[in-house]
Amino acid sequence: MDDLTEMLKGTLEGCVLEIIGSEETYGYAITRRLHELGFADVVEGTVYTILLRLEKNGLVQVTKRPSGMGPPRKFYALNDAGRKELATFWAKWEYITSRLDKLKEGGR
Amino acid sequence: MNFWETITGSDLTREWKAFETRAEALPADYRAAWEEIKGHLSSYADFTGRNLTPIVDNALGLLEETAADGQSIHEVLGGDIEGFCAALAGGEGARSYRDRWREQLNRNVARKLGRLGG
Repeated sequence: MDDLTEMLKGTLEGCVLEIIGSEETYGYAITRRLHELGFADVVEGTVYTILLRLEKNGLVQVTKRPSGMGPPRKFYALNDAGRKELATFWAKWEYITSRLDKLKEGGR
Repeated sequence: MNFWETITGSDLTREWKAFETRAEALPADYRAAWEEIKGHLSSYADFTGRNLTPIVDNALGLLEETAADGQSIHEVLGGDIEGFCAALAGGEGARSYRDRWREQLNRNVARKLGRLGG
């Protein structure tokens, strides 16, 4: 699907939190996972800026590990604050989707 | 940062030299993106530009990591380098000298209009 970027913007941070929540991972792997999900427009730079924000807000634990080649990679895992934020994200998501479903069905 | 460095900015010159040395090792298309990133980020600089060094360091780190992965620059940054820089610098709300100019201009215009009895 084209042109999802605008709609996706507010939820991408939640997506990244969820991906990190299931296993400790790094930027490129997160971008690839999003591509597999069908969000082909998401570039690594976008994921990277989200990761910076999560780090700044103290939601992730960052570990530097040497990679096969090039500079060491930053691996991200959720801390307690991150898990709480993720739960909040899904609660908000649940709320929005239930309202939108209602709207679509013509209910009040 | 000692007093001498604060006054002369010699620490900044040294850091930027180190950045450029790192950037020279990047592939050609990455280097072009690097030039563009520097251009966009400069609008987020404070008076000395000292606030930019950690941001620039981060951006360069990303370029180095992804270049080593063998990704194309398009896969990494897409078409929106300006947006990437805005997000790096802390989103649209990041205050820069441009914001301060704009504020000043708005204030002046408001004052002038007020005087005209509008």
